[in-house]
Amino acid sequence: MTSTDNAMIQAVQLSKRYEDGVLALDGLNLQVQAGEIYGMLGGNGAGKTTAIHLFLNFIEPTSGEAHIAGISCHREPLEAKKHVAFVSENVSLYPNFTAIQNIEYFTKLGGRMDLTRGDYEAVLKRVGLESAAHDKRLRGFSKGMRQKCGLAIAILKDAPVILLDEPTAGLDPKAGLEFIRLLEELREEGKAILMSTHDLFRAKQVVDRLGIMNRGVLMAELRREDLEHEDLESVYMSYMAGYMDENEQAGRVSSRRAG
Amino acid sequence: MFKLIVTKELKEIISSTKFATTFGVCSLLIVLAFFMAARGYHVGRAQYDAAVAEDRRQLEGQTEWLDVSPSVFLPPQPLAYLVPGISNDIGRNTEVRGRGGLRPEGSRFGDEPLLALFRFMDLEFTFQIVLSLLAILFAYDAVCGERERGTLRLTFSQAVPRATYILGKLVGSLLALTVPLLIPLAAGALLLPLMGVPMSSRDWLLLSLIVASGMLYIGAILGLSVMVSALTRRSSTSFVLLLSLWVVGVLIVPRASVLLAARSVEVPSMDQLLSQRSRLRAQLWRDDQAVIDAFMREQLSGVRDEEDSMEMQSAMQAGIAAFNTKFDELAEERQFKLAELDARLTEERRNRQRWQQGLALGIARISPASAFSLAAAHLAGTSLDLPEHYLSQVNAYQERFAAFQKEKTGRSGGGIRLVIRMEGDEEDEPGPIDPAELPAFVFNPPPLGTVLRAGVFDLSLLAFFNLLFFSGAFVAFLRYDVR
Repeated sequence: MTSTDNAMIQAVQLSKRYEDGVLALDGLNLQVQAGEIYGMLGGNGAGKTTAIHLFLNFIEPTSGEAHIAGISCHREPLEAKKHVAFVSENVSLYPNFTAIQNIEYFTKLGGRMDLTRGDYEAVLKRVGLESAAHDKRLRGFSKGMRQKCGLAIAILKDAPVILLDEPTAGLDPKAGLEFIRLLEELREEGKAILMSTHDLFRAKQVVDRLGIMNRGVLMAELRREDLEHEDLESVYMSYMAGYMDENEQAGRVSSRRAG
Repeated sequence: MFKLIVTKELKEIISSTKFATTFGVCSLLIVLAFFMAARGYHVGRAQYDAAVAEDRRQLEGQTEWLDVSPSVFLPPQPLAYLVPGISNDIGRNTEVRGRGGLRPEGSRFGDEPLLALFRFMDLEFTFQIVLSLLAILFAYDAVCGERERGTLRLTFSQAVPRATYILGKLVGSLLALTVPLLIPLAAGALLLPLMGVPMSSRDWLLLSLIVASGMLYIGAILGLSVMVSALTRRSSTSFVLLLSLWVVGVLIVPRASVLLAARSVEVPSMDQLLSQRSRLRAQLWRDDQAVIDAFMREQLSGVRDEEDSMEMQSAMQAGIAAFNTKFDELAEERQFKLAELDARLTEERRNRQRWQQGLALGIARISPASAFSLAAAHLAGTSLDLPEHYLSQVNAYQERFAAFQKEKTGRSGGGIRLVIRMEGDEEDEPGPIDPAELPAFVFNPPPLGTVLRAGVFDLSLLAFFNLLFFSGAFVAFLRYDVR
């Protein structure tokens, strides 16, 4: 089944309730177009990672639909994954393999059998991994270096959609800035990028649209223009506070009813 | 994609320090097992040659074939030193008389009890204990370890079918573990001819099948490890679970099966059989003594009536001949009755023992470790069939020896004979016997077809375990949460 919309990433009333009863995602609706970076901002347990895992079909939705390039992630997961590249918070690669060996393996696994060592080296240079590290085993790599390798794999796959789960967490300022510049380049190349983050500063720097999430609910969506004139921290906190108030009031009502 | 995953699995395992270390230790153990087998064979051969020579020396100077009771020895078999099975527990030498029951004596463990206590570092031990642990060590985190490291998420963010991935992983781990082991196995096998162990083409074929059964066993343990790793979320849980299963499968099930079978089916002990036999023999001997007494009285009264010394002497000689004939008849009758009892008791015992063994082996075979032991022992000719086969060979030799005695002396061996020498008799000194005339005992191993038929069941069972655990791993992984 294909989506009727032209959005490269689309969630329609997407919900996920885990077996323990926790509603991790509650009726998410979002669309990301080609050449757009969409940030999902929220604290722990907001449902950002759950949404990304639903797009990757790591878990099945309780209800609703997730589409990548118009393809249902749940019904045709293999077909959908051909159009998506993924970089997780902690890029984990094989520690006994060198950077090049890891990249070669995962790129081939992603279906790119036509690439040469020259291509791998060029992309590693582009993401900022120095040449001396190309043939070193991953065992001694820092988080930032592994993150660069992960991004190299995503770039080499040349998929129209990129999903990033907390990609800047734990990066030093320089690595963080380099990462943001790369994302901007990828946006220029027409990629649709969905990024989960709780890094307000980086989010404000790079996203075109920002969804504020809390406890599985997309509470607000802000455009880049809105962000330029707002103190994002205050906006975020006001939404969180509003949510708390609502819940507290709901709690009081429930208590009264129960009493 | 399948090839890519297999290659990656191979590279990942082989390039790890864990592999380098454990592979080095295992290679050393494998080569050592072959080296010890070659040494053991030569020691066994020397002991066998010395025992045969000593037995022949004891025959020198003997003058009567009827007095001869040669010993036959189970010759050393090269494969028995790689897979000892029960070869060290059974009697290796048997004293053969013209008639009567045969009882092999002098087991290796009886001669060297320390060996029974600590056993050997043989090839079977290396496969069953060391290499199976190695398989667990390499595959306990095959799936859950990748989940913990996070590589599983990255892998399944690509368009990788789960079935292809888990099959590639299984095949890759199997190749990474078994193919490198072929190097020390080949080197070890090469040691045998280099160290002068005579290996026939039959031995080579059976050794190859023993190695194949070992590989199937390692494959089953590997499949089990991958299956458990696909059923657990943490590698520590998987490791503890697999170690527990290993202890149950390798150490407890085979022993428990024997205990359970012994409690379910009682088998009379050999001592009980011997005591029943002794009772009957004593009874028969008492009966025969009465007959002999009566016979002697009758004969002697005839002799006493003779007044002429010449006639008395010839009457005496006739009496002795009649006595010997009578005694032989009685002995043969006695022997027949004893043999009848022996056959009945042995048959009863054997039937119960077969039933008990069948039950024990049936229970034991739920463990791949037992299936491997049984397959290897069948192929090496050291299974539970060995004592029966050896005894049948010794029985056949006894028949040949009895026929030889009859041919040489005109009489059957065994029992007692009465010889009375009268005063003035010319000493009739018989010449010494020639031990070279004695028929040689040649131990023929069971026919190859019989060995293969016996081993094929356990080989098939090992193949089934592979299929079962590989399928289990496959099914478990199809539902595995890769996050």
